[in-house]
Amino acid sequence: MREGDTVASALYRAGQRIFTRSFKYHRPRGLLCCSGNCPNCLMNVDGIPNVRTCITPARAGMAVRHQNAKPSLDFDYLSVAQKFDFMMPVGWYYKRFTNPKMWHLAEQQIRKVAGLGDPPPPDVPQAVYEHSHMHADVAVIGGGLAGMEAARDAAAGGERVVLVDDQVHAAHPSEANFTLLERSYCFGLYEGNLLGVVQKEPHAQARERLVHIRAKRVVIATGAYETPLTFKNNDLPGVMLSSAVSRLIRRHGIQPGKNAVVIASEAGDPNLAGDLLSAGVNVVATVSPSDVLEAAGGNHVRTLRTKRGNFACDLVVMCGHRIPDTGLLSQAGAKLEWSVSAGAFIPVEFPPNVSAAGDVLGTELKAAAALPAPKESTNKRTFVCMCNDVTTQDLCDGVAEGFDHIELLKRYTTTTMGPCQGRMCQLQAIGICARETGRTIPETGVTTARPPNPGVTLGALGGARHHPTRRTPMHYQHEKLGAIWMDLGDWKRPRFYAHPSASNERECVRQEYQAVRQKAGMIDVSTLGKLSLKGRDAGKLLDKVYTNRFSDLKPGRVRYAVLCDEAGIILDDGTISRQSEDEFFITTTTGNLDFVEQWLEWWMAGAGLDAHVANLTSAMGAVNLAGPHARDVLSKLTGCDLSTAAFPYMACRNADVAGIPAILLRIGFVGETGWEIHFPAESGEDLWSAVMEAGKPFGIRPFGMEAQRLLRLEKGHVIIGVDTDALTNPYDAGMGWVVKHEKEDFIGKFSLGKLADASAQQNLVGFLMNSDALPEDGAAILVNGALAGRVTSARYSPAKQKPIGLCWVPASAASEGAAIEVRVNGSPVAATVTRQVFYDPEGSRLRM
Amino acid sequence: MSFLLTCPECGARSAYEFRFGGEVKARPQPDASEDAWYRYIYTKVNEAGEQKEWWFHRSGCHQWFQALRDTRTNTVLSTWRPE
Repeated sequence: MREGDTVASALYRAGQRIFTRSFKYHRPRGLLCCSGNCPNCLMNVDGIPNVRTCITPARAGMAVRHQNAKPSLDFDYLSVAQKFDFMMPVGWYYKRFTNPKMWHLAEQQIRKVAGLGDPPPPDVPQAVYEHSHMHADVAVIGGGLAGMEAARDAAAGGERVVLVDDQVHAAHPSEANFTLLERSYCFGLYEGNLLGVVQKEPHAQARERLVHIRAKRVVIATGAYETPLTFKNNDLPGVMLSSAVSRLIRRHGIQPGKNAVVIASEAGDPNLAGDLLSAGVNVVATVSPSDVLEAAGGNHVRTLRTKRGNFACDLVVMCGHRIPDTGLLSQAGAKLEWSVSAGAFIPVEFPPNVSAAGDVLGTELKAAAALPAPKESTNKRTFVCMCNDVTTQDLCDGVAEGFDHIELLKRYTTTTMGPCQGRMCQLQAIGICARETGRTIPETGVTTARPPNPGVTLGALGGARHHPTRRTPMHYQHEKLGAIWMDLGDWKRPRFYAHPSASNERECVRQEYQAVRQKAGMIDVSTLGKLSLKGRDAGKLLDKVYTNRFSDLKPGRVRYAVLCDEAGIILDDGTISRQSEDEFFITTTTGNLDFVEQWLEWWMAGAGLDAHVANLTSAMGAVNLAGPHARDVLSKLTGCDLSTAAFPYMACRNADVAGIPAILLRIGFVGETGWEIHFPAESGEDLWSAVMEAGKPFGIRPFGMEAQRLLRLEKGHVIIGVDTDALTNPYDAGMGWVVKHEKEDFIGKFSLGKLADASAQQNLVGFLMNSDALPEDGAAILVNGALAGRVTSARYSPAKQKPIGLCWVPASAASEGAAIEVRVNGSPVAATVTRQVFYDPEGSRLRM
Repeated sequence: MSFLLTCPECGARSAYEFRFGGEVKARPQPDASEDAWYRYIYTKVNEAGEQKEWWFHRSGCHQWFQALRDTRTNTVLSTWRPE
């Protein structure tokens, strides 16, 4: 290995000639382009598959393995596939596997042999992938002569410049307004001049960095690249592009072969001749592309047969067609036009703030060979798409079978769909399509260019492995109390608390339940959305947006609130309490807080109302303290009169609790006398500790989400999004009472008016299992043996000593005592519909 | 969808910072015909061309504004706060 070597050049220097085996036929492939534009050098480096070794700098200690060849590159037993090429014509999988049974058998085998490269095994240490964002006045893509000049000029003019280039640079620009991203490639140019760039190994700790560049203007200077000529066996190792040969000689000081035949259409490239001479390569002959018949050899080219004779050689140098690398320009919407003199599609019209410089403009190019290859060269071993082994025969057959539009032909043959994304093959494919359909090349056109091109690893797109976590103010109290956590969106909430006297979750939840029903329990409900709505028109806004009436809510009172859309579908629920004439305190479900804030703001936008919303969710913590002894506990911490006479059910008060200013709402989600206490988040730990301390003599227990779910289920309380879905209206859910139709106008009035009169198709009702079988949430409901509904929530109820739940059933089965069946463990089990609340139907426990 | 939108409050930002709020539609009067309500709730104009629409700056000022955007090219012609 020498300094400046790529992995491929180091291997070539050591004598390696076969680098891969092709995708379909497992034919031996050697270096072709040496510039990252073809699939022939892909290998596994340090566990990473599909690395383009010809542009990857070599490093001592790199572990390099071949791909797609068993047992070795020199002898791959799957190359026997070529003998069965008659069974695998173009589109063969559509033709051969019309029998489903046959496909199932074949697919298992095909999966084992298909594809290139293997994903890294699980024990490979995870690499770090980063994301970064940059803003620039000018982004220049491509650091060749034209790109570098454009970047330098812009920087000298005072603009902030970013230059993206895939090579390693010896010198970096010194100006502060000129950034060079080396070993970087741009894979996409998106709307608003957003560029996606992958930077390899930006520093020792990161494998790749995805750089998002937003630029005021973009200069594409991606240059032009050479493409192969078409003749039989043009894919043999030793058949190389002239630019690849020059690169091996000049950059790496390697003699690419001993005896070479040069295929060139004109007098020949003087630079090439000089390079070959300096490397001591004997040029056996120079032939014109139209004279070439075929290359021949086993694992390496040995002879080039031409109309002017056969030449023994170990190197065939193709002076191929150079075409501009217009992918990014096409993505940006530039217009390409066929240039006869250039023999390529060149950009002629540019979208605003996108321009091009250098060879990518195509103005200096000259066609290297007549396009396409003549009809006589059509056979099964003249390769057009190296990535997917698509031959001239395949393309002709595809057109003959009716896929005569270039977009259809591409998809049917899979030409251009491999790792090189059409760089090596698109022009030849277009030429053949044109010839076979009798159209001109401009009439045939090009296929749509889309990002990412070149490809991007999933790691780069994924970026750093962050998972944002939201914790309530009392998170660490729960930790100390043995909380077993669950995720609710980004939030962590206790599912239940481990307890020394309980051996499993079921027992813990039962104990928490008992504590709330008989003593006192406290749950952290800080994740609820909390909004403050203030202003003279606050009540008017609430009347307009919610189904219920709030302008007549007296200060100190709380009401249940339901939000519907104009189609009458329930969007969210919560409580609204009036703090004063002009101030309301709104709670929403955890998941819908963002939506409710946006919804309220939207109805205010441009309406000229004196009303303002503030999102207090993170600023405040909240708990629900409930149970027959909740008052006993709370009265130790506050001077507020908590008697039912002074503080009835559905009232709210502001008072200090443990010296902390709080809003107290006497509401009853879990069905016992209790208070929802809202307080500044920074005082959360203090308040929680104070309540737990005050509650000790009464046997207070913290309770989690599982216990809460059970407690509320026994009261038949609906959870929006669990028991309802995106089609539920208040009438189906048994909440018609929240809709005040007499209001002059409100969101959903029209639809709800219709729904009130219509008969519901499905109803949300309660049910009791007739036995002890406990259904899962979501279990199927059967009525008269037919699928008729589903369970939304089900739990074992200590109050009823039976499993209970809520479910959706057809209106015909929605009456008290109706017989239904619930599928438990795959079998229907008898259950009974009930419209009665399971626990304390009169609600006397709430009003103690 | 990475075009730029100029929030009247915060200036030009990537479209990803915003939440799309649909076409600007006039809400019918409560006593309007069933047809008018049906069209308002369930149908869209879905213009292929310049469209007046709502946007909410969710990664910024949390305010709604309206924009005139050409849906064919994603060129935003103007943005303003509704009166």
